[in-house]
Amino acid sequence: MKLLMAVEVVARRQVTPRVVQLTLRPAKRAAFPAFRGGAHTILVLPDGKRRLYSLTSDPDRPELWQVAVLREAAGQGGSAWLHEAAAIGTRLLASHPQQGFALAPEAARHILLAGGIGITPFLSMLPELRRAGADYEVHFCARSEAEAPFLPELRAALGDRLRVWIAQRLDLARLLACPAPGTHAYCCGPARMVQGFAEATAHWPAGTTHVEHFAGIPRAEAQQGEAFEVEIASSGAILPVPADRSLLEVLRAAGHGVDAACEYGACGSCVVQVEGGEPLHRDVCLSPAARRRSMTACVSRGRGRLRLAL
Amino acid sequence: MTNSYPWAGRLIAAYIAEQASMEMEELPAARMIEGVGIEGDRYATGRGTYSYKPHEDRQCTLIEMETLDALRRDHGLTLEPHESRRNLTTQGVPLNHLVGRHFRVGEVVLFGGRLNVPCKYLDDLLGRPLFNPLLNRSGLNCRIIKGGTIRPGDVIEPV
Ligand code: FES
Repeated sequence: MKLLMAVEVVARRQVTPRVVQLTLRPAKRAAFPAFRGGAHTILVLPDGKRRLYSLTSDPDRPELWQVAVLREAAGQGGSAWLHEAAAIGTRLLASHPQQGFALAPEAARHILLAGGIGITPFLSMLPELRRAGADYEVHFCARSEAEAPFLPELRAALGDRLRVWIAQRLDLARLLACPAPGTHAYCCGPARMVQGFAEATAHWPAGTTHVEHFAGIPRAEAQQGEAFEVEIASSGAILPVPADRSLLEVLRAAGHGVDAACEYGACGSCVVQVEGGEPLHRDVCLSPAARRRSMTACVSRGRGRLRLAL
Repeated sequence: MTNSYPWAGRLIAAYIAEQASMEMEELPAARMIEGVGIEGDRYATGRGTYSYKPHEDRQCTLIEMETLDALRRDHGLTLEPHESRRNLTTQGVPLNHLVGRHFRVGEVVLFGGRLNVPCKYLDDLLGRPLFNPLLNRSGLNCRIIKGGTIRPGDVIEPV
């Protein structure tokens, strides 16, 4: 777990029918700790549920934070609670900023690719790009204008730096075919889009592509990904983990009692020890040292076969 | 008990945290409740990491400012008093030698229960490798023998 602060909801705005923006103020300190665009916070709801949200407010305004919450249809109630019950004056806990995703300061040009609610981590990057006078473009994909959060604001602020793809496929392979020197590309969106981005940038130089897997992405998608398999060290059993299931589900179905809390890679309750193979870490809670010997079963996956100390 | 090596220190700051993992809050004055803990603190309200195994020696925790200075000097590590997760920051107090002793903080009397042992949890919480540098100087866990209100600047001395 990360260090938590008491915060208070001081404003709410319905951004789209399914997205509400919450403005938070620190309850016990004058200002929030500093962060860079792209960071997220973990909100702890009164029932103990933990949810990750990208900070969408300007990093230069430490007196308030904003997050945008997508109401998940099949969620476990965390987003529904924030939509329905988190009225103005509600107290929550928020973690210190978690910085996995950030602009590369050395980049000469930035290509930002967002799908739906995946626009949120970019919202706190845009003021940084503007202030730095950077060269950048934003591609925003959504099912419909009405469901594209913050679209009017983005249009007004970005002008022709913004390309909007409504119900129209953005050809990632074509857009990203020729990486110009010094260009960095960033993606946040549904699993399908992130997958397409990974494929389209496979030939890019190491360190020039950046993905935010979680913030605001519906849980069901966070738990899907590439297929792999695990070997259970104690029994030798081989368990396949198909693309549409999490390791946690597969282990539980096979009778292994693995704990879990957030099921979002945020809390570390579902950690399993890894004895061999190459895990693909997608959590936001493990230290690099912990990642060398363990993984979160709820969201992390593997390449080929992993051997688990179970 | 005779006080063969006289010392006198003072209280630098007092902190509480409402619950586990929460930032500590600096208090202008801390109300120490005899046999319980510090008013508003996680171990007085039963919402701390170790609250499932309450222990009277953990009613309040102390750490030396000298230790925090040494971390910076010898290891280049910053651990601010409010980040240490200990309630009271002291200066000039030989905490390691107060196990089994009574001592006074202002109007309050504490009893040195056990030496505090560092916890990996702090490394995770702060993302800094503090575990090893804190070994053997992680502070003192105390019982509150006589309650009262204490403030930064209060004298700490043997009873
Ligand atoms: S359940 Fe929280 S990290 Fe997996």
